[in-house]
Amino acid sequence: MKQIILTVNDVNYELLVEEHEMLSYTIRNRIGLTGTKVGCEQGSCGACTVLIDDVPALSCITPVMKCVHTQILTIESIAKDGKLHKLQEMFVQKGAIQCGYCTPGMVMSAVGFLKINPQPSEDEIKEAISGNLCRCTGYKKIISAISEYAAESASDKSVIADENDKYLSVGKPRPYIEAEKKVKGEADYADDIKIKNALFCKFLRSTHAHAEIVNIDLSDALKLKGVRKIITGKDLPISFGVLPISQDETSIAVNKVRYIGEIVAAVAADTEDIASAACNLIKVEYSPLKTFFSIKDSLADIEEKEKIHSHCRYNNNVHKKAELRFGDQKEGINNSSISHKLNFTFEGINHGFTEPHAATAYWDENGLTIITATQVPHYLHRFLAKVLELPMNRIRVIKPYVGGGFGGKSDPFPHEIIISQLSKLTGKPVRTRLTREEVFLNNHGRHPSEITMEVGLSKEGKVNVIDADILLDGGAYGSFGVVTTYYSGVLLQAPYKIDNFGFRTRRVYTNKPQCGAMRGHGAVNPRFAMESLLDELAHRTNTDPCELRFKNFLPSDTLTVGQFRITSNGVVESMNAVMEKSEWKKRHGKLPYGKGLGVACGVYISGSALPIHWNEYPQSVVHLKVDLDGRVLITSGASDIGQGSDTMLAIIVAEVLGLSIDNVFVVAADTLLTPIDLGSYSSRVTFMAGNAAKMAAENLKKSILDSVSLNENIPVEELNISKERIFSNDKTVDLNWKEAVEIATKKVGALTVSGNYNSPKLGGDFKGAGAGLSPSYSFGSCIAEVDVDTDTGEVNVLNIWGAHDCGKAINPLAVEGQLEGSWHMGLGQAVSERMKFYNGLLLNPNFLDYKIPTSVDTPPIDTTIIESIDPEGPFGAKECGEGAIHPVIPAIANAVFNAVGYRITSLPINPEEILNHIKQKY
Amino acid sequence: MKPADINKIYLKPSSLKDAYDYASEYKKSFRYVAGGTDVFANRFQGNDNSDCFIDLSGIEELKGFENVKDYFRIGALNTLNEVIGNKHINKEYNVLTEAAKMVASPLIRYRATLGGNLLCENRCYYYNQSDWWRDSAGYCLKCEGNICIATGSKKACYSEFVSDTAPALISLNAEVEVCESGEMKRYKLEDIYTCEGVNPRRLKNSDIIVSILIPSGLVFKSVYRKLRQRKSLEFTSLSSAVTINKNNFLKISLSGVDSGPVTYEGNTGSNSEEIIKYFLKISRSVENDMYSREYRREMIKVYISKSLKELGLS
Repeated sequence: MKQIILTVNDVNYELLVEEHEMLSYTIRNRIGLTGTKVGCEQGSCGACTVLIDDVPALSCITPVMKCVHTQILTIESIAKDGKLHKLQEMFVQKGAIQCGYCTPGMVMSAVGFLKINPQPSEDEIKEAISGNLCRCTGYKKIISAISEYAAESASDKSVIADENDKYLSVGKPRPYIEAEKKVKGEADYADDIKIKNALFCKFLRSTHAHAEIVNIDLSDALKLKGVRKIITGKDLPISFGVLPISQDETSIAVNKVRYIGEIVAAVAADTEDIASAACNLIKVEYSPLKTFFSIKDSLADIEEKEKIHSHCRYNNNVHKKAELRFGDQKEGINNSSISHKLNFTFEGINHGFTEPHAATAYWDENGLTIITATQVPHYLHRFLAKVLELPMNRIRVIKPYVGGGFGGKSDPFPHEIIISQLSKLTGKPVRTRLTREEVFLNNHGRHPSEITMEVGLSKEGKVNVIDADILLDGGAYGSFGVVTTYYSGVLLQAPYKIDNFGFRTRRVYTNKPQCGAMRGHGAVNPRFAMESLLDELAHRTNTDPCELRFKNFLPSDTLTVGQFRITSNGVVESMNAVMEKSEWKKRHGKLPYGKGLGVACGVYISGSALPIHWNEYPQSVVHLKVDLDGRVLITSGASDIGQGSDTMLAIIVAEVLGLSIDNVFVVAADTLLTPIDLGSYSSRVTFMAGNAAKMAAENLKKSILDSVSLNENIPVEELNISKERIFSNDKTVDLNWKEAVEIATKKVGALTVSGNYNSPKLGGDFKGAGAGLSPSYSFGSCIAEVDVDTDTGEVNVLNIWGAHDCGKAINPLAVEGQLEGSWHMGLGQAVSERMKFYNGLLLNPNFLDYKIPTSVDTPPIDTTIIESIDPEGPFGAKECGEGAIHPVIPAIANAVFNAVGYRITSLPINPEEILNHIKQKY
Repeated sequence: MKPADINKIYLKPSSLKDAYDYASEYKKSFRYVAGGTDVFANRFQGNDNSDCFIDLSGIEELKGFENVKDYFRIGALNTLNEVIGNKHINKEYNVLTEAAKMVASPLIRYRATLGGNLLCENRCYYYNQSDWWRDSAGYCLKCEGNICIATGSKKACYSEFVSDTAPALISLNAEVEVCESGEMKRYKLEDIYTCEGVNPRRLKNSDIIVSILIPSGLVFKSVYRKLRQRKSLEFTSLSSAVTINKNNFLKISLSGVDSGPVTYEGNTGSNSEEIIKYFLKISRSVENDMYSREYRREMIKVYISKSLKELGLS
């Protein structure tokens, strides 16, 4: 080791460092400045950006020894004297921060760049941040923040906070309550939290796709100094899986491995490097089995012993088959004046959240505590109890700030269970952090799919029939796959009225990393097929594709063919909005060859009406407590993973109680402190936890007003609550909030109230009727404009206009952020993202080759919020986090068809196919 | 103690001589580092396990821009951003500016050097992976295995030469000044490449590119193109630099389609069909890229023919 002096944020640190260690390691682990994040360790994501002598640098690929005698600035240096830098203020105000994991790097890139170019154009800003990946925002608000900051610096205007801001509540745009903490690099994510004396856990992963484990020799690894414990499958034999019906996975492979990357052994050691070195010393003898890498392989008849899982019911690797039929599809086709059938193929997609999975587990007198990056503490709580054979009251799951999830942090994961067990066995805290490669191997992303779909139209242009045959490549384990199997079909029954609708889905196991839930779960690829076919039929019937859709939209307050109850429905308004913004009528069909406009629509659930684990506990519960200090404490199990749910809860409670946001405080997602919530997936949080918060706040309001009424001898109907005052209509009673709380807590002490939400009973009484049921559905439309290079086949997306019916935007700034992030993510699936395999081995497990669109790849996005005011949503709100991804992908593909006449049937869009089409045609 | 890092050394010489002396001292396992953006990403993946890194960034002789006789001299240690910002280069050798702008991402270009980009390690998606990955796939020829996974060949590695600036500089007839065993030598830039995947450069580990020299006064006109899926954060899948000068000289260089740069020299009267045929014949692109081999070959045709047209030749 080498002794050096490193100057960071104007402080000289005398340090002992390894000579080849990277600056990010030194800053985070030796100095303890954890605002600098690590997302890829290969210079491909920008999360680790710092300034070295005022110039931005990727600290994950900059050796610390290169930085001696330089001035290093990290995010912690940007705010001065307790005040944010004006650029940071702009990030906060503009809503440029969601999960916040990319934010420190993004701010540092911008600060460095603005020193060189203080008055940049928008294009220059886009270019400057194009080495910093953001998966949440679609960059729009980040660019706007930087741009406005530069403009205001030029005009010397300062950012003045509106005094009324503190009462901004439902319907008023406001930054996340934790935005300042995130923009300063002070928000602690799982890997930022250091528990004293923690061991580090690394995993030995299978190098075989499908093989029996003949022998594992740990002897050499155990001899390595600093190794504290090594466990293998036999130490954690109890199976788990997020769905009660798919308990098909163990934390560490038992007897056989089913994909390359599956954990075979886990080492807890004094340091990460010792743990890694020990993994390299473990010798595993495998006996290879027949491998299955494609849907076709896994549908083929095989012998019992060849199966990936012995519980597969048929003589193949089919995991789940679902089929539902309404009306008569054959007759529907026969009665159609035109029908069309196409085959579609889709590659797997990874969530691409910027924060890699990380967790720390420890045991004390309260049993097990695990701090982990999770979307659903409750499911992890359940499965830790199951696998570790512990009562739930000896387990505490804490969710810190989470750097994005998109479905990829909603399962209980092997690494979480393993470190809990290792901590128990060693008696020491155990932490882990997955590399980006491991995050990709963990996967649980969107299923690769093959879809054959036929759609028929009546001569009046009504959708007569949809018939779909859907195949899903599930990878090695079940995850949410049974739900995916149903969602792939059932969510096709809106937003269009269809009488003859049927689908069959088969999910197969293959020897690849498992697939699960990802933004738009299950419905994204079938939606693409449906919207492409509608576009094709519009083309074949010489009908405007928007007009064809208008003819078929379901109305509000209706039932679908499969008995989904549709209440609020803003699909028509969403279509009108994007048509107007894009000047559709003026431009569609009139653009020159190579340029095109495409349209598509979508629908999604606002949470599942039925819980995964059937019981009668409410789907969401929120507790409120108020004491003499007057501040209302909100406790909720809902997980804020960057989508803004903590802020949503605060806004709703503040609105009902007439409080400023400063007077509410959110404690969320800690299974010891907060009531159970089923977590952040299926776009359920605003609807369900929001409703529970609203009920709780109304209960608290009632309690306080009742007390004041009694105390002041005035009918409760005469009392009002607004801007932290409780007053009667005639103003004879006029109390401030604290005075009212004093009255209400007299003799009883702190008030605690509860609110809850449970979905009403919905749906038909046939088998499978529960799939896709939701108390409310969101709707939306997108129009995309593309320019296809007719010499290369490359597609350049020029514009995206999107409109989404979210019922009511509780926080329009956050809603816009969710929509823009969804459209950006859809853009990625449309044009560049794919999980590419070589013999079951993922070829692109990194952010260089897994191509999330950068700021310069993202076109201008025009965002319209449609408010249909849902009758059951909190203040009329419903989902906005996932639904918007559905229409954008087919809108882009349909625009390509409009541009060059080539129908896209496989994603991502391949310029080679387009070019071949152009060459054949001309 | 981190067992993997025992005996690791990082040195920062302030002169070429010191650098060379260090290289001699640690000849068993060392690597020079300039910006480090390529080396340390490779190190993270276990593709570079050098015990000693010799950081050249403190050597003033390797920096700066100047006119020297009939050449414009660019110090090898200038960062790509400095190259992009140099007005003389932008005016006289715009193809180099364009190429440098397309390297990786702005965060990389703040640190990566021109010399480093010329020496950027060849890539292949069976090679640029973690050690665990390569163990799972079976080690290939470039990492001491016995087969090229992309082609099944036991003889040749087809890793891609991915420098963006090299084809631009080659098309400008640039030369490099190399310090070899303390002695300065000059080569045409294309001559330092072997076009062989495992060892793609003729230079010894201890050699240092000191500067790049581009001929002056020839009134170059060029077109540069790069095939990539994203407009940032990308290595090339095909880069083409097509340059003419006032003497009707035509030079075309490609990267991304072979294990080294592929170059054509002719004059402005050269037949474009013949040029394309030549490139398709000598480029050895294989299935080791996110774009298919066929598409990349098709793009060779498109890029060259469009570039020639833009220059008024066809």
